[in-house]
Amino acid sequence: MALDIKPTRSELINLKRRIKQTSSGYNLLKMKRDGLFHEFRTLLSEMISAREELVGTYRDALQAISLASSIEGGLSVKSAAIAASKRPEVSVSKRNIMGVVVPKVDGQNLKLSTEDRGLGLIGGSPYIDEAADSYSLLIEKVVKAAEMEATLKRLLEEIEATKRRVNALEFKVIPEMKEAQTFIQLRLEEMEREETFRLKRFKNK
Amino acid sequence: MEIAVVGPLEFTLGFQLAGVKNLYNPSSDEELSELLKSLLNQSEIGVVVVDNKDLNKLSDRLRLQLTESVTPTVLGIGTEEDNTLRESIKSALGVDLWK
Repeated sequence: MALDIKPTRSELINLKRRIKQTSSGYNLLKMKRDGLFHEFRTLLSEMISAREELVGTYRDALQAISLASSIEGGLSVKSAAIAASKRPEVSVSKRNIMGVVVPKVDGQNLKLSTEDRGLGLIGGSPYIDEAADSYSLLIEKVVKAAEMEATLKRLLEEIEATKRRVNALEFKVIPEMKEAQTFIQLRLEEMEREETFRLKRFKNK
Repeated sequence: MEIAVVGPLEFTLGFQLAGVKNLYNPSSDEELSELLKSLLNQSEIGVVVVDNKDLNKLSDRLRLQLTESVTPTVLGIGTEEDNTLRESIKSALGVDLWK
């Protein structure tokens, strides 16, 4: 470390104050990191189950739509798809987890009722209805999974940044300041000894 | 905000049945990446659903860009699990927590 510090008492006092400040900041950041990590772990287990559900629902939906197209024919499935009148929408609001702003996704009209599908009660077919239902369910799961995935990504970024900061303070900033403090202390002691010795020499003459 | 679905016709059909109107059927890989890039900049899209098979075709750079984007959130679905989030957790925390 480059010791370009002036070995003076005022510098020492300043340094002591800064070390104290930095240590308290370091402790706070460490707590933030642990808190974020805790939050992340709870969300992650939810995310894993949401993902599994999503894959399961997707498989079911695929099966339902293949069944519908093989029984009713691809064309009628397509025409049923065009008829749907309402569209599912999502609204994204913000939520705060320990200072990290994460999106909260809510869905509207995710599940279409039979009337909203625009086919009427006679025009539809149970297979197509079933396929549409399972895809509506899939969209619900997609919205949930999307929210969780975005949240986890944001948390992950924040954890990484906080971890870097904590490590920089612990292994670089604080040790360097402590080193400077010892240097000043030793130098001041040395100067004191020199002073006493000088006085002694002066007295002897 | 709306949901957008990107993929081959058979992939988007089911979503159309459930009422989604923003459907995109790119015919080539270049078209797919151009389309996803433009979707990233659209403010009225909240969630983009992509087939996992299509996601795997993209360049690493674009894939990273897509996984990092929050609004819109890009979600790949498929019959197999995808490991992009798992990998990013591993690299950020140093531990594989996905268990």
